[in-house]
Amino acid sequence: MVRRVAEAARLSLTDEELERYEQQLKVILEAFRMLDEVDTEGVEPSFHPIELEDVLREDKASKWVWDPLANSMHKEDGYFRGPRIQ
Amino acid sequence: MEATIGLEVHVRLRTESKLFCGCSTETVGAEPNMNTCPICLGYPGSKPMVNRKAVEHGVRVAKALNCGLAPMVRFSRKSYFYPDMPKNYQITQYEVPLAEGGYLSVNGRRIRIRRVHLEEDPARLVHVGGDITSSRYNLIDYNRSGVPLAEIVTEPDIGDTKEARLFLEKLGVMLEHLGVYDPHAEGTLRVDANVSVDGGSRVEVKNVTGFRNVEKALNFEVVRQRSIARMGIDVTRETRHFDAETGSTSSLRSKEQEEDYGYIIEPDLVKINLRPEWVQEIVATMPELPDQRIQRLVEQYGINRFQAEVVVNAGLDMSLFYEECCRLYGNAEKVANWLVTYLLKSLNYMGLSLRESGVEPGTFVELLTLIDEGVISERTAKELIKDYAVSGESPRRIVEEKGLALMGVKELRAVVGEVVSENPDAVEDYLGGTGKASEYLVGQVLRRVRARADPNVVRKIIIEMLGSNGENASVAQ
Amino acid sequence: MSVLERAHRINHRYRAFNHVAEALEAEGGGRLTGVAVSVKDNVCVKGMPSTAGSKVLEGYMPPFDATVVAKCRLEGAAILGKTTQDEFGFGTFNVNTPYSVPLNPRDPERSSGGSSGGAAVVTAVADFPHLAIAESTGGSISCPASFCGVVGITPTYGRTSRWGLIDYANSLDKIGCMGKTVRDAALLLSVISGPDVYDSTVLHAPIEDYVAQAGKPAEGLRVGVPREYFGEGVDQGVSDVVWGGVKRLEDQGADVREVSLPFTRYSLSSYYIIAMAEASTNLAKYCGLRYGLHLPLEGSFDEYFSAVRSAGFGDEAKRRIILGTYARMAGYRDAYYLKALRVRTRVIEDFRRVYRDVDVLAAPTMPVVAPRFDEIAELEPIQHYMMDILTVAPNLAGVPMVSVPCGESDGMPVGLHVMADYLGEGDMIRAAAAVEAS
Repeated sequence: MVRRVAEAARLSLTDEELERYEQQLKVILEAFRMLDEVDTEGVEPSFHPIELEDVLREDKASKWVWDPLANSMHKEDGYFRGPRIQ
Repeated sequence: MEATIGLEVHVRLRTESKLFCGCSTETVGAEPNMNTCPICLGYPGSKPMVNRKAVEHGVRVAKALNCGLAPMVRFSRKSYFYPDMPKNYQITQYEVPLAEGGYLSVNGRRIRIRRVHLEEDPARLVHVGGDITSSRYNLIDYNRSGVPLAEIVTEPDIGDTKEARLFLEKLGVMLEHLGVYDPHAEGTLRVDANVSVDGGSRVEVKNVTGFRNVEKALNFEVVRQRSIARMGIDVTRETRHFDAETGSTSSLRSKEQEEDYGYIIEPDLVKINLRPEWVQEIVATMPELPDQRIQRLVEQYGINRFQAEVVVNAGLDMSLFYEECCRLYGNAEKVANWLVTYLLKSLNYMGLSLRESGVEPGTFVELLTLIDEGVISERTAKELIKDYAVSGESPRRIVEEKGLALMGVKELRAVVGEVVSENPDAVEDYLGGTGKASEYLVGQVLRRVRARADPNVVRKIIIEMLGSNGENASVAQ
Repeated sequence: MSVLERAHRINHRYRAFNHVAEALEAEGGGRLTGVAVSVKDNVCVKGMPSTAGSKVLEGYMPPFDATVVAKCRLEGAAILGKTTQDEFGFGTFNVNTPYSVPLNPRDPERSSGGSSGGAAVVTAVADFPHLAIAESTGGSISCPASFCGVVGITPTYGRTSRWGLIDYANSLDKIGCMGKTVRDAALLLSVISGPDVYDSTVLHAPIEDYVAQAGKPAEGLRVGVPREYFGEGVDQGVSDVVWGGVKRLEDQGADVREVSLPFTRYSLSSYYIIAMAEASTNLAKYCGLRYGLHLPLEGSFDEYFSAVRSAGFGDEAKRRIILGTYARMAGYRDAYYLKALRVRTRVIEDFRRVYRDVDVLAAPTMPVVAPRFDEIAELEPIQHYMMDILTVAPNLAGVPMVSVPCGESDGMPVGLHVMADYLGEGDMIRAAAAVEAS
């Protein structure tokens, strides 16, 4: 399980890490299973502690004055440089 | 049915600012990364803020497509990694989309719309040293990142590639009429097409821009899948990329290992209630839709349905052009006839849109007026319209420059007189009652004056001059 | 000795800072004139490296101030520096970081608590006017405050703006404050509270005079003591000290009674699943392209991203990313992510119900006093998580809480946790101040 999920999350783990995590995560997931004891029939999920709603922004363009590339090492001619696809 | 086709259409919504931040959505003349901020660049600590107008546009689209609106919407995070993703998750709508269950009629058939939802556009990638599969590295421009998109997903109801194109054209006109979409701006409509043939595996062709390319890509795919099936091989279920230059699709990645998007509700945003009062307000301010406009043109201007459909389906520009011409000229039917039968034909032939051509209501009406004034014949006008469609130049001036004006009667009589005196044998034949002779004489005159005279008028003058020869008695009347 | 020199001395001795300001700059006057404010390293300060305790953000210079920092500056504060923390907030002992692991001022062989460890340490030992901006997701303000013997306030979720907070879990993160006294912490709270257009989850409620609340007597305050918070798993010595504090409240005229929060035992699992699910998406952006740790641009994007992330994240971060990704994968999403969210509703209901009869709750902040580093090294990850059993429930519910020093056990500070209803900061500060004064 760990290998597949780690790959999806773009983490390349050593064999040592894979083994160690597999063990540790198994224990943790087992502990999480105690939630099965809770009757949540008809209970709505709470995405936030307090139900907030209807926060909208007016459609007006504004300019953020900054250098977007300042924090990047990989750039060229005003573009960010990124790795190839395949 | 030739194939089973479903489309996912991504439309860039016309707003001043992006979906989740105040950056301008203007792409024309923008230097790369000029319209960015920490939010659309996914900087740590930044948080999104929902653009009200984008939601309103989404509601309009949903209503125009006869969908059921959700009572409230939430945003979700769709996680996947790609160089054009500022956060490596896209804020979209998964669990609670804006609208579901609508349709768009194409040629009498209803293509069902599964859902309409809002999401943010990723950045623009420039592939350096190759294309998407072969480039050495990429350059990333985040101006596009965060621009609001409406995603319109159809059921796999489309049966062939032509229908797909018709669907997209009709959708495009609809969206343009709604004021949410600009067909003249580049890259404002992208399509992912899902196609399978004869019950085989489904293949997705991603990111095709432009209606013609969609038809091309689908045609290629249908042929490709058919030939594979004919050889007895199963079509692989996968994602492919369309190359506009070669007109072919190539494999991107196997859909077997479909990305698990791991959706969660976007915890930085709160639910938006689509209250009935708000929705009513939005609907009340909705512009006229294509079908409504077609109906109105028929009723208001007395033109036939076919013409009204042609005008409306040619885009908003054309509709407005038509109505302005009617306002200036008065005879709505004549405008429709000349527009539909001749002008549009010329524009299509030259591959020009109305906007590109320079044609304007004032000058078009001028053309019609020239006919009315008898300055040119209808035949001349039909020829003239070809030049006019390309240049947009004042028809009056074209007539002057090219000497196309109909000759005055006096001048014409003079020419007829010349011809008559030069062709005594023909005149004799004519007076003797030989029908063909009059045509010969008319022909001789036309040879000299070309487009500058109407054949019927020439005939009349000849009869007047030489007198009726009995045979032409009815004509003399 | 100047304030900066003192700060360096603190850092040298206790390793509490990731960055000390080069100069103390304050403009104008206000409620924080003359006060040096230290900022937890996951709260952005323009012009100072903000790493959130992670190598993946090494040297990252934010182009903007977090809203809470801007508010402090407006009131005349000088930003002292960035305090050390567990990577992205992943930890209870401030040991999960490649940067400084701070030492408990009372005993340098013991942990300061986490994840806002640096903030608590500076607060405890600063011998100049100082207040600390800290942050809590599951108890990261309360825990170190309890272990170091200072006051730590975690406000109602949404009371303070999260703009500029490097996210751990967006529906759980709250920026709060620490001070030597309840009054001090209350002062900073009143400065950093309030709405912000840049954060859609803020509350628009009016801000009370929190400092004034610290002076009000405890008489008439209804105090609930949840029985689930004193059961097994809580150290006897800690329990006794906290009971002592509760008794003293009663002596001052508070109306103390026992209450029950039956879903308490499920809050740990619910909290961790939600927190990790959200965190795993928040951490996806760190891939060596726009900011933070970069590597030479080689390979496909899958290879490059994996290389950067594997090099930049610590063990605990990797574990949480994996767990969080798993919890929201198709096929597991219902059993984990959605289930946890439903259990959260139950926990919230617990609190809403109990606050109909009481104004505040009182309990131990942590089940133990600050453990020794060598003890911590023996613990398995699950045992680290179990340390949070007393703080996760109120954090999950988003109610406000304050940890106030209440006494000592085994020579180490013990914190008493006062929890109030949504926007009940006033009541909780009043109760905490009463405990402090007694």
